[in-house]
Amino acid sequence: MTDIQAPAVRTNQTDPAVAAPAQIKMTARDVNVFYGANHAIKDVSIDVDMENVTAFIGPSGCGKSTFLRTLNRMNDTISIAKVTGDITLDGEDIYSSDMDVVQLRARVGMVFQKPNPFPKSIYENVAYGPRIHGLAPARRDMDQIVESALRRAGLWEEVKDRLSDSGTALSGGQQQRLCIARAIAVDPEVILMDEPCSALDPIATAKIEELIHALRGKYAIVIVTHNMQQAARVSQKTAFFHLGHLVEYGETSEIFTNPRQERTKDYITGRYG
Amino acid sequence: MNSFALLFLVLGLGLIGWLTGRARAGRLIRAAPKRSHSRPGQHAAYVAMWTALPALLFLTVWSAISPALVRDAVLETPAAASLPSFGFQRDSILGEARMLADNPEAGAFNEEARAIAPVYGAAERRYSWIGSAATILLAFAGFAFAYSRVTPTFRARTRVERTVMLVLLIASLIAILTTLSIFVSLLIESARFFAVVPITDFLFGTHWSPQVISSTDPGESLGAVPLFWGTFFIGAVIAMIVAIPFGLMSAIYLTQYAAPRVRRWMKPILEVLAGVPTVVYGYFAALTVAPAIRDFAVMLGFQYASSESALAAGLVMGVMIIPFVSSMADDSIAAVPTAMRDGSFAMGATRSETIRRVLIPASLPGVVAGMLLAVSRAIGETMIVVMAASGAATITLNPFESATTVTKQIVDLLTGEAEFDSPKTLAAFALGLTLFVITFLLNIVALRVVKKYREAYE
Amino acid sequence: MQKRIRRRYAAERRFKFMGLAAVVLSAGFLAFLLVTMLSNGLAGFSRTEVALPIDFPAAKLDVTAKQLQNRGADLALAGAGLDEVVDKAATAAFGEQGIDIISDRAWTEVREALKSDPTLLSRKARIDVPVSQDVQNALDGGGKPAMRAIVSGMQAKGLFSNKFDFGFLTSADSTDPTNVGIWGALKGSLFTMLVTLLIAFPIGVLSAVYLEEYAPRNRWTDLIEVSINNLAAVPSIIFGLLGLAVFLSFLNLPRSASLVGGLTLALMIMPVIVIASRNAIKAVPPSIRDAALGVGASKVQVIFHHVLPLALPGILTGTIIGMARALGETAPLLMIGMRAFIAQPPEGLTDPATVLPVQIFLWSDQVSRGFVERTSAAIIVLLVFLLAMNALAIYLRNRFETRW
Repeated sequence: MTDIQAPAVRTNQTDPAVAAPAQIKMTARDVNVFYGANHAIKDVSIDVDMENVTAFIGPSGCGKSTFLRTLNRMNDTISIAKVTGDITLDGEDIYSSDMDVVQLRARVGMVFQKPNPFPKSIYENVAYGPRIHGLAPARRDMDQIVESALRRAGLWEEVKDRLSDSGTALSGGQQQRLCIARAIAVDPEVILMDEPCSALDPIATAKIEELIHALRGKYAIVIVTHNMQQAARVSQKTAFFHLGHLVEYGETSEIFTNPRQERTKDYITGRYG
Repeated sequence: MNSFALLFLVLGLGLIGWLTGRARAGRLIRAAPKRSHSRPGQHAAYVAMWTALPALLFLTVWSAISPALVRDAVLETPAAASLPSFGFQRDSILGEARMLADNPEAGAFNEEARAIAPVYGAAERRYSWIGSAATILLAFAGFAFAYSRVTPTFRARTRVERTVMLVLLIASLIAILTTLSIFVSLLIESARFFAVVPITDFLFGTHWSPQVISSTDPGESLGAVPLFWGTFFIGAVIAMIVAIPFGLMSAIYLTQYAAPRVRRWMKPILEVLAGVPTVVYGYFAALTVAPAIRDFAVMLGFQYASSESALAAGLVMGVMIIPFVSSMADDSIAAVPTAMRDGSFAMGATRSETIRRVLIPASLPGVVAGMLLAVSRAIGETMIVVMAASGAATITLNPFESATTVTKQIVDLLTGEAEFDSPKTLAAFALGLTLFVITFLLNIVALRVVKKYREAYE
Repeated sequence: MQKRIRRRYAAERRFKFMGLAAVVLSAGFLAFLLVTMLSNGLAGFSRTEVALPIDFPAAKLDVTAKQLQNRGADLALAGAGLDEVVDKAATAAFGEQGIDIISDRAWTEVREALKSDPTLLSRKARIDVPVSQDVQNALDGGGKPAMRAIVSGMQAKGLFSNKFDFGFLTSADSTDPTNVGIWGALKGSLFTMLVTLLIAFPIGVLSAVYLEEYAPRNRWTDLIEVSINNLAAVPSIIFGLLGLAVFLSFLNLPRSASLVGGLTLALMIMPVIVIASRNAIKAVPPSIRDAALGVGASKVQVIFHHVLPLALPGILTGTIIGMARALGETAPLLMIGMRAFIAQPPEGLTDPATVLPVQIFLWSDQVSRGFVERTSAAIIVLLVFLLAMNALAIYLRNRFETRW
């Protein structure tokens, strides 16, 4: 709580290219996902670090987004989806019956491929999460949370004079940063980003990438991207998915310069994709 | 206590449950070290739910069964011993006694009723107290149970949401329940009818005159074939001859030719045509169209043209159906992929050629389904025929003669002075069942075709 | 080749013309219907009055000016024989036929005039009172020749005047067309619609929510869906039979009551509301649901905080269209006994009542000439309500059509 009310964006001093010493936040062991008869994810095991940005890359349809959505159980909304295996958050099994999916999603936030602000005011977009979770007992606390989340998302200066305007009236890049602010506002531990820049222009993309840098270390961040340059720019760890398998997982610099698997190398050198 | 007061009392208790639950949850959650599972508001909803729902459920059931309980209690008292042992007369005395018990100043027709009224009143009061006490007790019990469960770790939200889902599920079942109760009630009454009148007489008999039903052979004057014919002739022939060409051509013009501005104005106008109540069409048919058609027929040389001709009813019905056919055709034509149309244009076909050779064949299943639905609607239409068609059941091909329909006869049979159980009234249910089954089949076939057709182009 | 092309273009023009003709004729029919109703009905809103001179001091009414200001004024005037005074005045003014010239309720007009101006008691006055149906017929060129002669004589003296008939909007049914009003039927319609809305709206919306947001795809759900789609196309009269068999003879609810009418119509329009609500809910983009779920909203919160508010315009449009259909519906209400002659506006949901369309139907059956105008006037009132509702629905649909 105290952290989130810090007024300024804290810039990360560590070298973005080097992975920090790992403190494991989420683990997945032997995860399989089925969509009806379709076996979408096959025996994936992976650890997500607190300190690093983890990128999931791979050709489209490889299952990287599907796997991302198992990490906060967004697959629950699809009735035919079935998940087996263990996924833990700080050692707690997130698929156990004790885990409440609503509380889980408050801890593991998500940013989607297309910016999807609510058709409400900018203020209401950010305030919605804290309100349903009861994070702000008084109106003043809420103002503070909204301001701090918008600052962290690098949007405050652009919107502070028009907080009551509709969130859908912003530009695409601003909308996506608003969605990030919305995710930050509930004070999550992990933020999942599902191709957050695929609908944006290069300038807006650069801003989001800067933002990811700034947020590193504060939250465990997992980003799915089809853009390998982006993965190389923003992440310290990279996982390569292909046909539902996790082919290779390691330090980003290693994966891009010295992949161990033949398939990874083919993908990175652009032989298919 | 009457049930309205009780209802508000229970709702009030629910509100109190909400407030106290919220206060308690808020206090406990503030004191708790961890982020709690549910918000105070959700705990409050949980308490309110437990306070009000069981009590309301009981109240509903109780108000349904308590009149019968009161009645039985009254019948067991010595005062009721002198009543006629069974049947209609006793019921009417009891009914009067109840009225007197509620309102002592009212006049009584039966002397016995005045004697039983105090007994009745006493029984009513007793059961009313039992019901009130049980309801309030249930409310408090529910409240105590839920209130004691409010703790920071208690998952009130999950419980409340499960209840909400249950309520939603029940709401959606009402549609099935309605269909089922339509079918069952029609079936039961029809079964009673067919116990008196052989089903073959009803379905295949060609003589219909329910005003004089012979007690030895009631089936003789209850043959429904003339009604079936009249319904078919007015609804499926005359009305469709008007509605289909007009509806189809309007849809084609509005979708393919009309400028967007014209379309924007004409579509709502057609919708208004659909929104005019059928009683207005009926009045119009009876007042303006029917006399005009009779005069026209006389001019053509039909000496005995009826002023309640099949043509008048069918014509106006057809006009009423135009917007319906038009909007169904509109949907079907819009569902045809543009690529098909472009392909035809690219070969140098004119617009009308494209429409006739490509669009209509491609949208035919949808259009035909729409026509089936239109027929279903026309044969079920009541007010126009009640007001403009005749009651005389004849089998004729001459549109200037009178014809009657199933719906018209249902209304006529049920609005006389007849008793509910007479073959005459029951015949209305048999006609209703026939109508329901036929429209049901038409609807099912049409809806299935529409669905298949939509899927084919998606 | 040229000739062939010309022929094809001619066919094209013919085809287009046929389409245009279909549209124009359909619209023309609507226009014809409306014009007929208007021209017949506008007269139904007014009534003819005749100036009746009354010499109150000579009549020696046994009431004081003070009594007229009290609450018992109506009773006092009736007890003092005001109706006879009025009849006598009519005989005195118009001769032997006088009583037949004024309407039966003429004396109530005099009563109201006295109440509003008690000083009339002490002087002679001319009071405009409604004429009888016979005079009305004679004025329209019908009726008995003798009456026509009298009436034309009076017309020459300018005794008649035409006024807006407030009684038509404030009174209930009657056997005399000069006395009828639509207030009773309107009130019945209002009560019936209230019941319909209270039942059909929540149930319809909730079941739409269930079917769109919760229901698993299985045979059970298919069955619900088929039921709803079919119910939307079942003839309305079948719902009347259902109401008769279930609400009246099985549940023993009161006959002719707006409660039963409302329940029956609620079952009838519920499918309309369900179908419209489902489409509106379907149109809310899934990304909104994802966004809310992503910040940790529960399913119920997603539905009630986001989906329903966004679907509301569509839901309301469907509801208004359904309600308009219920308001214009006649046949099922005939089945449950709402066709009785009811001269008293209903006071509660269980009182015997009639509704506007049924009232129109009942009046349309009357042979008396005066009822034709009244029927058309009632139709105009009904159409005004329905047009307003449909216009509101169309407005809502256009206003909120594209929001994302």
